[in-house]
Amino acid sequence: MFQNYETGGVFDEMFVEPGTPRRHYAPAAQRLLDMDADAFERRRRMADVLFRNQGITFTVYSDQRGVEKIFPFDLVPRIIPADEWETLERGLIQRITALNLFCQDIYHDQRILKERIIDPELIYGAKMFRREMFGVNVPRNIYIHICGTDLVRGGDGKYYVLEDNGRTPSGVSYVLENRAVMKRVFPAIFNQYRVRAIEDYPFNLLQTMRHVAPLHATDPTCVILTPGVYNSAYFEHTFLARQMGIDLVEGQDLVVENGFVYMRTTAGLRRVDVIYRRLDDDFLDPLCFRQDSILGVAGLMNAYRVGNVALVNAVGTGVADDKAIYPFVPDMINFYLGQEPILANVPTYVCARPDDRKFVLENLDKLVVKSTNESGGYGMLMGHQATKEEQAKFAELIRANPRDYVGQPVVELSQHPSFCDGQNVTSGDGSRRFEGRRVDLRPYILYGEKVIVMPGGLTRVALRRGSLVVNSSQGGGSKDTWVLEDEEGE
Amino acid sequence: MSVSIFEGAGHAPAVNIEPRPMLSRDADSMFWMSRYVERSEHVARLLRVHTLLLTDVGDLTPVLEYRMWLTILTTMRLPSDLPGDGPIGARIARYMTFDPGNPSSILSCIAKARENARAIRESISSELWESLNTLYWTVNDESAAARYEEAPDTWLYNIMNGSMLFQGLNNQTMGHDQRWNFTQVAKFLERIDVTARMMDTRFELLTAMAMQLDQPILNIHLMGVLRSACSLEAYRRLHSAELDATRVAQFLLFQRDYPRSVRFCVDQARDAIEGIRVSNGARSPSVPERILGRLSSELEYADINDVLAHGLTPYLQKIQETVNEASIALQKAYFLY
Repeated sequence: MFQNYETGGVFDEMFVEPGTPRRHYAPAAQRLLDMDADAFERRRRMADVLFRNQGITFTVYSDQRGVEKIFPFDLVPRIIPADEWETLERGLIQRITALNLFCQDIYHDQRILKERIIDPELIYGAKMFRREMFGVNVPRNIYIHICGTDLVRGGDGKYYVLEDNGRTPSGVSYVLENRAVMKRVFPAIFNQYRVRAIEDYPFNLLQTMRHVAPLHATDPTCVILTPGVYNSAYFEHTFLARQMGIDLVEGQDLVVENGFVYMRTTAGLRRVDVIYRRLDDDFLDPLCFRQDSILGVAGLMNAYRVGNVALVNAVGTGVADDKAIYPFVPDMINFYLGQEPILANVPTYVCARPDDRKFVLENLDKLVVKSTNESGGYGMLMGHQATKEEQAKFAELIRANPRDYVGQPVVELSQHPSFCDGQNVTSGDGSRRFEGRRVDLRPYILYGEKVIVMPGGLTRVALRRGSLVVNSSQGGGSKDTWVLEDEEGE
Repeated sequence: MSVSIFEGAGHAPAVNIEPRPMLSRDADSMFWMSRYVERSEHVARLLRVHTLLLTDVGDLTPVLEYRMWLTILTTMRLPSDLPGDGPIGARIARYMTFDPGNPSSILSCIAKARENARAIRESISSELWESLNTLYWTVNDESAAARYEEAPDTWLYNIMNGSMLFQGLNNQTMGHDQRWNFTQVAKFLERIDVTARMMDTRFELLTAMAMQLDQPILNIHLMGVLRSACSLEAYRRLHSAELDATRVAQFLLFQRDYPRSVRFCVDQARDAIEGIRVSNGARSPSVPERILGRLSSELEYADINDVLAHGLTPYLQKIQETVNEASIALQKAYFLY
């Protein structure tokens, strides 16, 4: 099934060159070579049925009819050797530490602005900067408790950080479910390796939440706040609540009285101490942010500011993962930690700066332009694939609101073999075989009493040939991601 | 030196933990999830029994056959003007299986049960969710209608089994705590309601047709009534194969130990409501508990001959009203305060 496999000039995760797998992939590659397309297809169907019957789905907003979809699952696992992971882990810990110090600084002394490392205008112009948080002390000075950092591998085989998702990163439930399904449909490959376990993530998440509980709560009540059953990540919200054994609440279940937050139970009101909110800042409290929000809880921000309830993540962390502030993360690492960044950024041109803007406008046909206010692959221009009209439209948008745009060179994502079944994924000649598809990697980092990086993460796959867009809302799929215990699989 | 896994360093962990009270919205969803699953089972059974029954009694007059089919609508409290055309049996079947416009079609019931389950996905077991989700995909799949046409009886049987599996998993994979009690109340209230209406419509029709029914045909109809409540075999074990309208009514209303009789269901619903109240630490009976408690005593001491002398219909209607009152009182006490 690897006939005519091409590595096409980009970094291939599995093969050094066609026919020669990397050392840590050799056992898996051999196992796949020994299978025929029908046997593989049977396993893929089995996985699909498992996902559907378990209701492991996400919601697509633009699609009126089939609102609930299965996240396409690609059965070939991505494998990361131990030494490579060790570097990633150190880099991610360094990064989340700096980002937390940055949030603390921005909402208090603003040293980084006073020393002119970052232009204050960039901060005050950030949509996600929350004046309401200025001078507020958050429990244990932790702002970003949960981070999902997007990593990609360039043509040089080096990892780059594409963005830090420090608000409400999603996808971790798929990581855990992918692993569970993988063990059921492909035990043979799984057992060839010593793969590091990820199953303690929910426990670590609960510990992270309990760590920031108000001091008066001896046995804190933790909950997850969801926008509701129609949210695209609803499955994940229920999954995490179930795994942690805590309640999943909606805004309508909560009330604030005398500065404390309570939930409505069959036995009356019950105090809530820690809220993992999967709701954007904007919708949290109609008295403080958007008045038309019916998803939030009136008075929640007051209870939060006086420290009667903890929010995970803190309000206002969006300032740290703003795409126009992202280019300064290496400076933050330097400034707050006095260290050199372990993980590199992708070079980024901030259109708010005149020189950068000029460069972006002159190179619209080569760059990727991203809106700083959107995520999930929306509001993006892939310059090299865009028409002249699309480029002109973006030029206009950039001139009108330069603060809202950044430009980056196209990063050639690494590729990984994917099974082309002719339905979800079609190969070049339509036959059923393996072909390279671009992938990224989103590890999850928890910042509690200590910083814990889950060994693995969500590998997202662009299922269309040649596409660089991996977002699930744009037709991406996912893979199980294995971090190995030691260098070699047996 | 041996190390015990039970000796933690420092303090002893708290072991005697009281379950925490549940969210009102979760209780509400628990209730409706269970109630809709139960309803889908009744619809499937009624359709299945009617198809068999009308085969058994042979050629009825068109008017009679029409009225027999309409009892399904009356039992499910649906208006009797049916959409579509063609033979009445096929129209009813279409309407009661896949019509999304009919709130009591099997598809609607299971879709609503699943919607409620999805809203409380985190508080029900994976096994329970998967059984319901799988059942949903059985009725919502593109090929579902074709598979129904191919073998209606098997398909309806699978729906009923789906409900039974759901109930079994509910009993065996969920704690018998407050949330479980909400599913029990819902199931039994629904069963009482459907059984009472089924008895009412069918006995009314049989009474109206009495002149035209000879004993063998009446027997087939009485078997149909028992089958509609899944009670034929249990009745036979008690009374042998001898069918008698009074005995049938007595069995369906008052049989103490049979899980389809009204009395059994009322007692179970009352016990579940009591369980809900006790787990909240309240000591005196709640409003819905009192309502069902009074009904339970009534059923315990009632005499079928008295009931028939005063009219079966008003008696059955009183039961339906009481169930409705209990249902509203329950919502007021726990969901909408």
